[in-house]
Amino acid sequence: MKALKQVFGGKLQQYTMALALIALVVVFNVISGGRMLTSSNFQNLISGNAYVLILAIGMVMVIVIGQIDLSVGSVAGFVGMSVAISIAQYGFPWWAGLLLGLVLGVLVGMWHGFWLAKMGIPGFITTLAGMMIFRGLVIWISHSISVPVPAQFSYLGAGYLPEWGPAWTGLNNSTLLLGLLALAWFAYSEVNRRRHAKARGSEIPLWVTGTRVVLIAAVIGYVTWLFGSGRPGTSFPIPGLILVVLVIVYHTITQRTRFGRHIYAVGGNRAAAALSGVNTQRTYFLVMTNMSFLAAVAGILFIGRSTAAGPSDGTMWELDAIAAVFIGGAAVSGGIGTVVGSMVGGLVMAVLNSGLMLMGVGADQTQVIKGLVLLAAVAFDVHNKNQGKPSIIGTLMRNVGKKPDVAEVPAGTPEAQHLAGTPEVPGEGPAADNKATIPS
Amino acid sequence: MTAGQLLLDMRHITKVFPGVKALDDVTMSVRRADIHAICGENGAGKSTLMKVLSGVYPHGTYEGEILLEGEEMRFNGIKSSEEHGVVIIHQELALIPELSITENIFLGSEVMRGGLIDWEAARRQAVDLLARVGLDISPDTQVKTLGVGQQQLVEIAKALSKNVRVLILDEPTSALNEDDSAHLLDLMRGLKARGITCLMISHKLNEIAAVADAVTVIRDGRTVETYDVVAGQVDEDRIIRAMVGRSLENRYPHRTPKIGEILAEVRGWNVEHPSVPGRLVVKDANFTVARGEVVGFAGLMGAGRTELARSIFGHSYGTYRSGELLIGGRPVHANTVQKAIAAGIAYVTEDRKNLGLNLIDDIKATVVSANLNGIVRRFLLQPRLEAEVAERYRRELRIKSSSVDVGVATLSGGNQQKVVLSKWMYSSPELLILDEPTRGIDVGAKYEIYKLIHQLADEGKGVIVISSELPELLGICDRIYTICEGRITGDLPVSEADQETLMRRMTTTSTAPAAPALSA
Amino acid sequence: MKLKRTAAVVAALLISSLSLTACGGGRGGDASPAGDGTTPAAGEATTAGSEGGFPADATIGVALPWLGTQNWKEAETMFEAQLTEAGFTPLIQSADQKVPQQQQQIEALIEQGAKVIVVGPVDGTQLGSVLTKAHDAGVAVIGYDRLIENTDAVDAVVQFGSVRTGELQGESLLEGLEATGPGPYNIELFGGGPADPNAPNFFKGAMSVLQPKIDDGTLVVVSGQTDFTQVATQDWDNAKAQSRMDSLLSGSYSDKEIHGVLSPNDGIARAILTSVKQAGQSRIPVVDGLDAENESIVSIAKGEQYSTVAKPTDALVAKTVELITALQSGAGLPAADTQENNGTKDVDIYQLDPVVVTKANAAEVFANDADRMKLFEDNLA
Repeated sequence: MKALKQVFGGKLQQYTMALALIALVVVFNVISGGRMLTSSNFQNLISGNAYVLILAIGMVMVIVIGQIDLSVGSVAGFVGMSVAISIAQYGFPWWAGLLLGLVLGVLVGMWHGFWLAKMGIPGFITTLAGMMIFRGLVIWISHSISVPVPAQFSYLGAGYLPEWGPAWTGLNNSTLLLGLLALAWFAYSEVNRRRHAKARGSEIPLWVTGTRVVLIAAVIGYVTWLFGSGRPGTSFPIPGLILVVLVIVYHTITQRTRFGRHIYAVGGNRAAAALSGVNTQRTYFLVMTNMSFLAAVAGILFIGRSTAAGPSDGTMWELDAIAAVFIGGAAVSGGIGTVVGSMVGGLVMAVLNSGLMLMGVGADQTQVIKGLVLLAAVAFDVHNKNQGKPSIIGTLMRNVGKKPDVAEVPAGTPEAQHLAGTPEVPGEGPAADNKATIPS
Repeated sequence: MTAGQLLLDMRHITKVFPGVKALDDVTMSVRRADIHAICGENGAGKSTLMKVLSGVYPHGTYEGEILLEGEEMRFNGIKSSEEHGVVIIHQELALIPELSITENIFLGSEVMRGGLIDWEAARRQAVDLLARVGLDISPDTQVKTLGVGQQQLVEIAKALSKNVRVLILDEPTSALNEDDSAHLLDLMRGLKARGITCLMISHKLNEIAAVADAVTVIRDGRTVETYDVVAGQVDEDRIIRAMVGRSLENRYPHRTPKIGEILAEVRGWNVEHPSVPGRLVVKDANFTVARGEVVGFAGLMGAGRTELARSIFGHSYGTYRSGELLIGGRPVHANTVQKAIAAGIAYVTEDRKNLGLNLIDDIKATVVSANLNGIVRRFLLQPRLEAEVAERYRRELRIKSSSVDVGVATLSGGNQQKVVLSKWMYSSPELLILDEPTRGIDVGAKYEIYKLIHQLADEGKGVIVISSELPELLGICDRIYTICEGRITGDLPVSEADQETLMRRMTTTSTAPAAPALSA
Repeated sequence: MKLKRTAAVVAALLISSLSLTACGGGRGGDASPAGDGTTPAAGEATTAGSEGGFPADATIGVALPWLGTQNWKEAETMFEAQLTEAGFTPLIQSADQKVPQQQQQIEALIEQGAKVIVVGPVDGTQLGSVLTKAHDAGVAVIGYDRLIENTDAVDAVVQFGSVRTGELQGESLLEGLEATGPGPYNIELFGGGPADPNAPNFFKGAMSVLQPKIDDGTLVVVSGQTDFTQVATQDWDNAKAQSRMDSLLSGSYSDKEIHGVLSPNDGIARAILTSVKQAGQSRIPVVDGLDAENESIVSIAKGEQYSTVAKPTDALVAKTVELITALQSGAGLPAADTQENNGTKDVDIYQLDPVVVTKANAAEVFANDADRMKLFEDNLA
């Protein structure tokens, strides 16, 4: 047990939802006779859900500031349709259409941000209006007719990385390269971790580092093999690559920049944030603008995958994104939620969907099961909060990458006790804290 | 009349909040049909005691027993205390503005007939009740159209509708003008004549003298004394002494001030109420703070202390009207909090939980939150730096927690306040404004905060301390301004100040007499 | 401790599932993902059907747009029954009218080793990349009821001819008018929703029958509105059709009798009849329809609506299963009835003729359809 903790950083119990995801994949794989864990199924899983996951990245930021964006589906549909029409009917080159779509997304977001931040209209209302406005515009500009998009978009929305280099690897070499890069990065950060720990005077046992590296290498290796060993011509999908880049960028923004801190501060206690020098209006504005920008990206990927923009694109996407964010541990009241957590939440939904489809379960029952999972995940989170423990899923992902490793702390320190689950040291009582001689 | 015999007996009441003992073995007795006043400083435990009595804190959350006519009461909520005729009227009125008087009076105890509300009967009863409290208006009037005094009377009418035996009034006249106050006091005498017992929390000694039969003074969660007013034993000085009269020795750290040149100067500062145009909450304020100086601001709640402080801190309260702020002799135009922080001002709020902390955050995130630039390297926040900074403050300020990863919500008040102080110390301010820095904090932790305040001053910073506790100001400040109704009414070196002087200036505007005369 | 046990169970499951997958691994072998293992690797991507068949009990995927209307629910039941009867293993999914869901369902069907996927598209233009994936995996794709556009990864489409449907509507209208006595006849024209690619085809077919008669004066369109854009009904909205009929009646028929109306479907037909009744026209005009909806069967039985055009689901399903059987045997698809350009290529179309239903022949047409038969008989006036 102690060994496990040292390897996983002592917060094993916080990885509940990630473990649930793995368990889900494994169970479905067994039930479906090995159809779950195949190259093509995972390629499908990623390309087929990239748009929801990208929306969830923006949505978690919106939910963290204590707002909600109901318009993302309509905005994605609107941008997709605008891009398709600009190319098909106005002769834009494909890249200009793409650019137009991204600019439109930003403009739409600024529109929402203006009403929320400057006019003080609640986000629910602002984006409910946006949902109607942009759905109406999609139908208006398209006359309810689907519009095909050029092949370059298919590459973005459903394409694969190129094949090159020697065939003896038995894998798609682009995927292999990505896997190696990831591996190198993890190894580097492990070594770095050791060095910093040493600088602070606490030694990480070599076997801990070794086990971690081996474990991470096994996981990355397996994933690389899974995606790379598919039919020739397939690889880690392009939309997946776009997603990974966005996750890294947004994880960094939310966890490692001042703007990111401001998002959590505004969501946690708006008044306190304002009195700490956070420009709350600007934060609201930027988060809403960013949400619609990401909705535009999602819409563009989707029309690529669909090879055409349709009048009903984006219907109900907002709800899928919101569900992913809440399964990923965000709090309805704001202030809590992470990009990585939301990705896990979105993948749980995606794997459920895929697994149930592989089992031949109908759409009706799938909906019921997804609804129950959403409820169970949030109830679990709420239950844990009521127990006074930190929100498992919430803190889990938020702390990823910034928590000090338990191995850096010698056993027996308060830190170690805390991590071992001993209750918080109660606050000072009059006696406990009374160092001075005070008559009373 | 059965007046004079024992009605209510509260024995050995102890109530503990996490980290703070709000009531410590309080015992008090109340006679039937008395008006019994309860006095004490802010935070002495008066309101807590009344909440225990009225079931707001249900049986089981406190120790001790409550006897009503010799029978032990175990209230599990307001509803059950009201069934026994114990009704509380809170300082913040609990009426629903959009509803009519009738609807408010019978909210929660509607007059029913055949499963439906009998509005006719309710209205008749409401007319009757309004007459009893001397309010001559239609019971269909919406509550939001009433003045505060009238709303207070509606609250009492509501209490009467519940066959009240013990009526608890928490600072009933604090928001009323003189006419309304007089009317209310008359009404209380009327209730007394009908055999209703009133418990009244009040700071206003002239009111106590006017209507009360007995006074209980509570200090630091304990009963100090109970007097009968009837016998004429009570005068203002005695009550004040009882309220504040603890030993001051060793309660405040000793320090020899090293006061330097003027750091900050405010000239002609005027602030308008945020939602009531034309009403000035700060009027023509002028004051200075020198380096190395601890300056106190004494004033009653609502006098404009916090409003002044927050207005200086980046115009974060109300509407700035006019006035100049100079720091180090240079004028500063800090109209946003960001600019105020950049100008070297820090403000520690009185309302720690709502305005001071993000309770979701852990210690380290809170400590760096007002100076994120301090941990930015290569455009990114550096978690290692963050942890180091927080760890440094945790050690220096002796914040009791297992690590800097602990959530601030789990800390005691004193440790939370140290975290907030760390946050502002890390923003390297020149001028620190501390608004009620020891509110809700234990005696021991207070001492550490005082030492910290002195240390900051000794480092050459200017410190403003706003406090309702006069002994605290006298104990730690070098100079004290008094403020009353938005105006600065006094500037006393601590050597010339005592509690009585301060209290008089805090309650004195140019129009009122220097001190309320007592006439029993 | 509990944690440790859970971790052990997870690890065990993980290992067992990895080994399960491992036998299907390897590059190139994935073209027949986790199927029954008897198919030869498909090698380069081609149409599976032309490669020489597949096992007689192979999995056949069916992706329907939704089950929210009578005809799609019938299609689900009939595919299940007829595919099973033909010896196949059917896997039927419906997508609740959502494109992304249908995309994922088609992908899941590929994963499940389907040899043929029948697709009733939610939106015929938005399945390009998933169907390409199906083709690359050696799966044959048959479009059902609607054309699949914007992709070359479609092998055949089975549908009712939409122009032919229109012709039947026109013929039926003419026949009904002639039965009322000698002409000329006053008529009005209605079209379907302009956004539906079928609607102009219906109108085109009908006009190919009616136009000559208009030209020779047998038919008179009193309002003069004969362009599709003039007569179209936005969104197939019955209410819009009804208000157009109201204004036509008050504008052009205050002193005339209306003898017939061309209607693109049953809902609009009933809206027209309601309008006529409300306007107090003495005689019910001849009105055709489409889809054999229950309410219209009642109306026909009562002698109000003259006719409807039925597109019997069982015939369409039977035709589809016939094509699948042909693919299975390795014989390849039979010759197509026609071809239609879908934006990328000319697709083979297998076209069925719909059936005109009038009061006279309803009993005969519904002989095998107990529900509709009962409905008709119960309401015979």
